[in-house]
Amino acid sequence: MAVKRRTKKDEELNLVPIMNLVTILIPFLIMAAQFVQLAVIDSTLPAIGAPQPSDEKPDKPPLNLSLAITDRGVTVMGADAVLYPEGAPEVAEGEDRPPTIPCQSGGVCTSVEDYNWVKLTAKLNLVKDEYPDEEDANVILVPDNQIKYEVLVSTMDAARNDPGKPGADGKARMLFPNVVIAGGAM
Amino acid sequence: MALKKARRREAEDGLNITSMMDMMTIILVFLLKSYSTQDISVAPSEDLELPVSSVKKAPEVAVNVVVSKKNIVVDGVPVLNLEHVPDEDNPGQKKLQIPEDERNGQLIEALLDELSKKAETAKDLGQQTGADDHAFKGRLLIQCDKKLPFEVLRQVMYTAGQAQFSEFKFVVYKQE
Repeated sequence: MAVKRRTKKDEELNLVPIMNLVTILIPFLIMAAQFVQLAVIDSTLPAIGAPQPSDEKPDKPPLNLSLAITDRGVTVMGADAVLYPEGAPEVAEGEDRPPTIPCQSGGVCTSVEDYNWVKLTAKLNLVKDEYPDEEDANVILVPDNQIKYEVLVSTMDAARNDPGKPGADGKARMLFPNVVIAGGAM
Repeated sequence: MALKKARRREAEDGLNITSMMDMMTIILVFLLKSYSTQDISVAPSEDLELPVSSVKKAPEVAVNVVVSKKNIVVDGVPVLNLEHVPDEDNPGQKKLQIPEDERNGQLIEALLDELSKKAETAKDLGQQTGADDHAFKGRLLIQCDKKLPFEVLRQVMYTAGQAQFSEFKFVVYKQE
């Protein structure tokens, strides 16, 4: 009963001014809306000239980690002592050393997903175990001429942190976030 | 039935906009959520598809270089066009490169001119305002198509280095 009476008595709320407001707000917000989130990757200029002499530690040679990216995979360089404790694998005379992390399909990588990023992160984790210092966060990328930019970005992602292994603060473990892109073969 | 019809006729004065209001409110909330005050914007096109990365760092304002599959653009001004040439290493395939008469070895001359001008302007601005915020830090935002070969990128970076830009920021899409 009560409900019935109210519907009859109540006047309809005048929504027209609110409608006006909303119709003006919507175009404005559409203009300001961002549907893709952007981010930036920092990198410094490849060092030109002789490398600066660093303070050598008597017990441990400084880490000079570089990743060579070719169309056959990624080669981790400068960390052989960690990756191959018994010495580097033998390579037949006149043959190129196979990449440390070959493509998943074996031969030439066909796409970004074909590179084995998980394995690369796992290998870099081993290196980080040996060099846990904050200063040892540099990695030099040495890509081939025809390597696609997206492969480069994926390599930086794989080298930056390990989401599968949380660090002390609960975030993904930082591996080598400071990326320097080297000139590669001219 | 008869009762319903009668009641409706009684209230029939003007459009019923309640349901429209519902819709508008939902759209409003959605748009407010995606509202952003980011400094830079990208104009996605067929020739410029940025890669996706897990990086979290927010972009900041700097001189903007866009390297798409078609051309190089500095702060909205097209500088030069790229060309497709047959790849000697992979017969039958084409590769993207900067025309050889446009560059001097690794140096892209047109880009160097444009970037040097930008660097000069930025330096003047920094000196005149005297504020640390406006000082020239050599920052360069690079938007690159994801299929771009590294050779082109290296030449762009080398040229930027010659124009006194030393801090590169590669713009990427943030992973959801």
